[in-house]
Amino acid sequence: MVIIALLSACVTAGKMALSFIPNVHIVALLFIVYTVALGTKRSLLIALVFATTEVLLYGFATWVLGYYVIWPSLVLVTAALDKVIETEYGYAIISGIFGLTFGLFFAVFESLFYGVAYGVTYWIRGIPFDIVHGVSNFVMVLVLFKPLVQVLSKLDDRAPSNELDAGNGPAENMRL
Amino acid sequence: MGKKLGVILFVLVIAAVLITGYQAIWGPEATPGTKEVSIEVVIPKEDVNESWSFQTDADFLKDLLMEEEETLGVMLETTDFGSMVVGMNNYRANESQNEFFHISVNGAEAETGVDEIPLTDDATYAFELREW
Repeated sequence: MVIIALLSACVTAGKMALSFIPNVHIVALLFIVYTVALGTKRSLLIALVFATTEVLLYGFATWVLGYYVIWPSLVLVTAALDKVIETEYGYAIISGIFGLTFGLFFAVFESLFYGVAYGVTYWIRGIPFDIVHGVSNFVMVLVLFKPLVQVLSKLDDRAPSNELDAGNGPAENMRL
Repeated sequence: MGKKLGVILFVLVIAAVLITGYQAIWGPEATPGTKEVSIEVVIPKEDVNESWSFQTDADFLKDLLMEEEETLGVMLETTDFGSMVVGMNNYRANESQNEFFHISVNGAEAETGVDEIPLTDDATYAFELREW
């Protein structure tokens, strides 16, 4: 529980630290790293704690509901592809696609509340931000994925055994 | 690292091309020349419903607001996402009461902020205080 609390706090702090640059943050990077190093169950819990923290920080809004879907989805997609990805390039591509489609996901989600026209406008107007999001995700994962997974895996090995899954390991099939 | 650097540079170039293409297709287009436009300000709680007409060479709504800042009592804030109108007619929207200035162009809800709303001849730009 302590690890989940601390790592979700890292996500929130990481997001806030880079909030001065629109759509550039380390949230996707951290969830991918958590999933690979710590496993799906713990990463899903971290994602739920993170989404709830966003509600506490920014109040309740429709986009917050989307957070309860999109971040756990990233964890699940990463976990599903973990066995077939051999290098950090694979994870960088996942994070890049995730960033590029982030606005599209929310456009669909928001259109459920405000109509299709609003959703289309929302998506088109946000495309430059999605491009920035996708590219920054790609670059950050490419550069920081390996060192972060190594550090987190070592720390996890030293920690007392946990009740949840022991993680997928530091990408057993991956050349670290 | 050299390979990664090459990949990163390649991706950055692709991104720059995509954003340039986006601006060319969907970016705001200004109409050159002098335009006659109307600005309306509606603040129901203050019983304010005023309108002004201006002749201007400004290209975008923000430029006009800056030109007529004193007349319109405009308050603008710069955010990461562009300029935001936080006050009109010297009334500042109260964020703690969820107030904001809703912008419409010829009666239709504006799809972008004032930075990207082009001025067109005979158009009416309305700012109405609302709560979200």
